Amino acid sequence: MNSAIEATNVVKVFGSIHALDGLNFTVKPGEIFGLIGPNGAGKTTALRVVSTLLLPTAGAVKVFGLDVVHKAGEVRKVIAYLPEEAGAYRNLSGWEYLGFMAKFNTKNKGEIHDVVREAAEISGLGERLNDRAKTYSKGMKRRLLVARALMTKPKVAILDEPTSGLDVLHSYHVRGIIKRYVKEQGVSVLLSSHNMLEVEHLCDRVALLNEGVIVAEGKPQELKRKFESENLEEVFAKVVGLA
Amino acid sequence: MLKGFQNILVKELKELVRDPKILLGMIFVPLIMFPVLGAIMSFAMQSAQEQAEKATLLVVNNDGGNWSEFFIGILSYSVKVSVVNNETAEKALDLLSDYNATQFVEIPSGFSENMTEHIHNPNATACVNFYGVFSGGGMFESISSSLIDNLVYAFNRVVAPDAVHTEKSAIIHGSIERGVDPAVLSGLMISQAIAMPITIMILVSYSMQIAATSVAMEKEEKTLETLLSLPVDRFAILMGKLSGSILVAAVGALTCMIGLNFYVGSFSAIIPADTSLDLVSLGLAPSLFGYLLLGISLFVTLLSALALAVIMSAFAEDVRGAQSLVGFIYPLIFIPSLLLMYLDVNSLPFALRIFLYAIPYCHPLIAAKAVTMGDYLTAVWGIVYVTAFTFVIMYAASRLFATEKILTAKLRFKWLRRRKRKSAE
Repeated sequence: MNSAIEATNVVKVFGSIHALDGLNFTVKPGEIFGLIGPNGAGKTTALRVVSTLLLPTAGAVKVFGLDVVHKAGEVRKVIAYLPEEAGAYRNLSGWEYLGFMAKFNTKNKGEIHDVVREAAEISGLGERLNDRAKTYSKGMKRRLLVARALMTKPKVAILDEPTSGLDVLHSYHVRGIIKRYVKEQGVSVLLSSHNMLEVEHLCDRVALLNEGVIVAEGKPQELKRKFESENLEEVFAKVVGLA
Repeated sequence: MLKGFQNILVKELKELVRDPKILLGMIFVPLIMFPVLGAIMSFAMQSAQEQAEKATLLVVNNDGGNWSEFFIGILSYSVKVSVVNNETAEKALDLLSDYNATQFVEIPSGFSENMTEHIHNPNATACVNFYGVFSGGGMFESISSSLIDNLVYAFNRVVAPDAVHTEKSAIIHGSIERGVDPAVLSGLMISQAIAMPITIMILVSYSMQIAATSVAMEKEEKTLETLLSLPVDRFAILMGKLSGSILVAAVGALTCMIGLNFYVGSFSAIIPADTSLDLVSLGLAPSLFGYLLLGISLFVTLLSALALAVIMSAFAEDVRGAQSLVGFIYPLIFIPSLLLMYLDVNSLPFALRIFLYAIPYCHPLIAAKAVTMGDYLTAVWGIVYVTAFTFVIMYAASRLFATEKILTAKLRFKWLRRRKRKSAE
């Protein structure tokens, strides 16, 4: 399989708003691919289409060759989606939440146990997993959710703003989890962020999204060279004509 | 004045008043609901009064003397009277439908003799026997029983105080229960007439809140997005959510019934100690089959209410929005419940009856009265209707969960926005 995700001319219209206007990108297996852009650029919509939550108005998206519209059930078996600023069930403990989520992927008790243990290790929350999620800080909650997304060793992890709203330490921890896990398990990652500096350090390749279309794509270093910029923020400003 | 208080108050008011859901749910709905409730109460009382006054009173004259003729004359001033002579109470019972009556008064032989005796000896009194059909209709059912008291009182005022007294009997399921005053019976049945509607009102509205909050919370916390992206049947998500809410609601119902039982029990002290009325032996408590039908009726109604709440909450962005949206259903629960608390559905005008039958939340109430009176068919038809309604709602809910609408649907109050925009211009 040459591509983990293949999006071709994807259009998504909400009433009179064209959230995606002919989106094309490919994520290679084992790669961290970042969709970056300002708020309202269409990043979350693109991720929701890939995650089978939204239907594209036109175009096609395939995950390891499976069409997200016609093979949605099959696609859901190979992906893990982490929504932006998602919460956990407030009255479940960390262990209970992970156990609840693990049961959707396997019925085998031994496997569930292993998966939850793996998630506990990824999250690094230790004893706090015994506490209810409502007692967690924002950063702890995010670590729990990232661990949930990666614990089943999905073929594709779709992470929407994985470090949004987190402090430096928690952001550092979450980025570390993603990088380490991809290396160890060969997971393909599609993530979105409006923090272009962060993405520069995390992603193998990035696509700059503006008003529903990709305006530039490539490795961060290549883009910086091509647009003679010091960072991706500058690249974006030049591409959209702000600088 | 507290520093900053006014500023915060003005901001709060702006935020609350500009939220169309709050404006509609908390201001307009009560504004409409209370006048409607007032109208229902006055309509219920008026129609019960009118029914009692318009109803034909069958008089069985087994006396044939002058005083009985005079007594009938006094009755005729106030109500429409039909007279038959020399019949037993059992035979008169069969004649009720012929005269379109639901009650009859028997003037026993010796009535005139006793009245004449009373003139000389005030301790001697005459007696008339009143028989009233008990249908378990509503809180005003005792009005017909009190009507005969008023008529006898009118007669006594003309003739002599305490000249005539009344012996009352109830006609239950077509047979005479001697010595059972329909008014006392009605008093006993009021506990059911109040308890059931209140329980159902609390249960249905509380369950709807639980279901709506549960879905809205998942949307607000974005856990629903996560669930929908998992390899799980979406209908299973819907059913899981509904079943969870039903179980919580069932526990709520149980505690609610226990609490109400204590509440209603506290009124038993009002019932005269010498009346040893047993509703079960009179056939006025539901049978096991009746309870089963009532349980099914309540269950399907709850299911339909929960499914509707799930659908409505899908259009809300957060918990507050979902609760406000569900609030729009409350008049459909509260108003019919209050109406049926006071009135028998069969005594209502045809159009209003159809309207009530169309509201699924009325059917457990109608079923409760029907099974108490042994009318199982009405309960079964209600179950069939609510089940069909539930299927339609469940289908709509499952369709909603199967598509992206569960995430993207939003109820927009366009007309309010347009008005605001116009006024801004």
